Amino acid sequence: MTRPTRAPAALALAGLALGALGAVVVASSSHVDRPWLTLAIGLFIGEAWIGAGLYAWSRRPSNHVGLLMTWTGFAWLVNLLVAANGELVFTLAVIASNLYLGAFVHLLMAYPDGRIRRPLWRRLVQATYALCLLGPLPLLLSGFEVACDTCPQSAIQVTSDETLGRIGDVAASSAALVLAAWVIWVLAARWRAASVPQRRTLGPLLWSGVALIALVAATIGAQTISGPQIPGVLPLAGQLVFASVPFTFLAGLLRSRVARADAVNELLVRLGEAPGTDGLRGRLADALGDPTLKLLYWVDEGWVRKDGRPAELPVGAAWTPVELDGQRVGAIVHDRSLRAEPEVLNSVAAAAGLAMRSERLEAALRRSRARIVEAGLQERRRLERNLHDGAQQRLVALSLQLRIAQNQIGKAPDKAVELVASAQEELTRALEELRELARGIHPAVLSDRGLQAAVEALAVRSPLPVKIEEVPEERLPEPVEAAAYFVIAEALTNVAKYADASEATVAVKRVNGHAQVEIRDDGVGGADPCRGSGLRGLADRVGALDGSLALDSPPGSGTTLRAEIPV
Amino acid sequence: MDCTVLIVDDHPSFRASARVLLESEGFHVIGEAVDGMSAVEEASRLKPQLVLLDVQLPDIDGFDVAARITGHPDSPAVILVSSRDSSDFGPLVSRSGARGFVPKAELSGERVQELLL
Repeated sequence: MTRPTRAPAALALAGLALGALGAVVVASSSHVDRPWLTLAIGLFIGEAWIGAGLYAWSRRPSNHVGLLMTWTGFAWLVNLLVAANGELVFTLAVIASNLYLGAFVHLLMAYPDGRIRRPLWRRLVQATYALCLLGPLPLLLSGFEVACDTCPQSAIQVTSDETLGRIGDVAASSAALVLAAWVIWVLAARWRAASVPQRRTLGPLLWSGVALIALVAATIGAQTISGPQIPGVLPLAGQLVFASVPFTFLAGLLRSRVARADAVNELLVRLGEAPGTDGLRGRLADALGDPTLKLLYWVDEGWVRKDGRPAELPVGAAWTPVELDGQRVGAIVHDRSLRAEPEVLNSVAAAAGLAMRSERLEAALRRSRARIVEAGLQERRRLERNLHDGAQQRLVALSLQLRIAQNQIGKAPDKAVELVASAQEELTRALEELRELARGIHPAVLSDRGLQAAVEALAVRSPLPVKIEEVPEERLPEPVEAAAYFVIAEALTNVAKYADASEATVAVKRVNGHAQVEIRDDGVGGADPCRGSGLRGLADRVGALDGSLALDSPPGSGTTLRAEIPV
Repeated sequence: MDCTVLIVDDHPSFRASARVLLESEGFHVIGEAVDGMSAVEEASRLKPQLVLLDVQLPDIDGFDVAARITGHPDSPAVILVSSRDSSDFGPLVSRSGARGFVPKAELSGERVQELLL
């Protein structure tokens, strides 16, 4: 047996043992009016809490809600020992008799994820436990008849002054009323702050909690006003509500399992139909009952929205990855409360995989289109910047130099001649920069003389030796030639910048209706395909022609960039 | 007294040419700045009569610089310059507090004097 199954079994046995002990104590009690009724009700409620708690714990061992329910059941069963005839056991049982309320408040504050998330709530739980234990003390210390006329004496009586006992009791009751109001206020605040799926989870327990605490408060209030003759209906109603909690909880678990299983089945059926206005997202939102649900797609090692725009996983929300054939397709971003049902999330994620893959392709296409537009804009900005900083500045300086020379012709002709010569140099450099820029926009030799001539020109301009193995002499369609040219130009630039190579080789072949462009070098390899925007821009450019780009760059063994473009 | 000038431009070639040109036409160049923030500092430190201010600077642009250093009774006169044309900027020049705009290629003492009058 492994630990997670052994521990609940041990707790179940302990629960039964405590119940049996309570039964013996109640059956032999000298001061319980209807022992069998008391026993039946007490055992039923206590074991129901323990059973429901252990079931919940076995389903979610990491969530402490089940353990807290079990603890509440144990605390309740301790109540049975108030029937004991012995003074010591009786006294201890009276002290512990309200502990179940502390456990219940603990459960309410820790629900649904099993952790108390705020310091204020933690203090509230501590205060409740303290009051549950300290509350009976004034009566026990003063010997005031605690529960009935025939009960045993208090084992810790220190005075027989009943007035003191009564004053202490009223103080404890007042504190209990304040605490009850505080608990109800916190629960109401939690309800107001909860999202729709959270409310579905919180609802049943939270409202039973409010009802029970209100009934306990009413009982204490009535007791304080009218003395120990408690109106019988209030404690009875309290017991009924308390008894109903584990069943409500179990019903909720089952209902949500059944409802979610239905929703997943329906999702599977509906995924095959034509998409509605809200498409896949709407269907998943329906299936999981979370209208705030969002879908993100995994494209180029990053998250994008359906419209292809980059996105971040929202902070604070929970998300479930969607995978297909072991590859990440996207993510369902959902309300945190849905994490309580991982099986449902996983089955929805599995069901959504295929549909998300096709939406991911759309998103990737949109992303690539957006990148082409962005790259176009960026290119225009770069051109403007280059023109402005380069040729334009030179022409401005040239204009100023000529003006100065003009001023000097009469006054200092030698100086004027010098200025005109320097202006001539400036003009030569401006022309060279303009030529370089024009080539970057579109090389004239490519459109005039074709790919072979253009690649030869690239090879001549490259700072390292470039061997041209093969380039078709015949002309290819213009977009194909341009794409091939820019792949080669970018690759040679990268080789010169990063590869630390002694030589590069270029080959363009026509294979099976494709232009196969290959640039190899003998450099250090290890090129990062994500580095810079150059390669991605090329991939977009080639992708727009239905082609593909592949980079092979093992560390230490050179780099090969290969593009295949349909002709 | 010669008109004192602060030249603000991030291109050293323009600063040098403008200095030679303006000095040959009787202006007294008392300082240079390479970006917007140092232009604001130099203008308050040197108190030139004229700031020849490039529109496109690496940090804040010339319009912002002009707005910061004009508007007081003892503010310098600001003339914006650019290798672009004034039509590229629309009403930005007149809103900036500058006296006017001269395209860099047309810079001359005469053009500056016209705007200072």
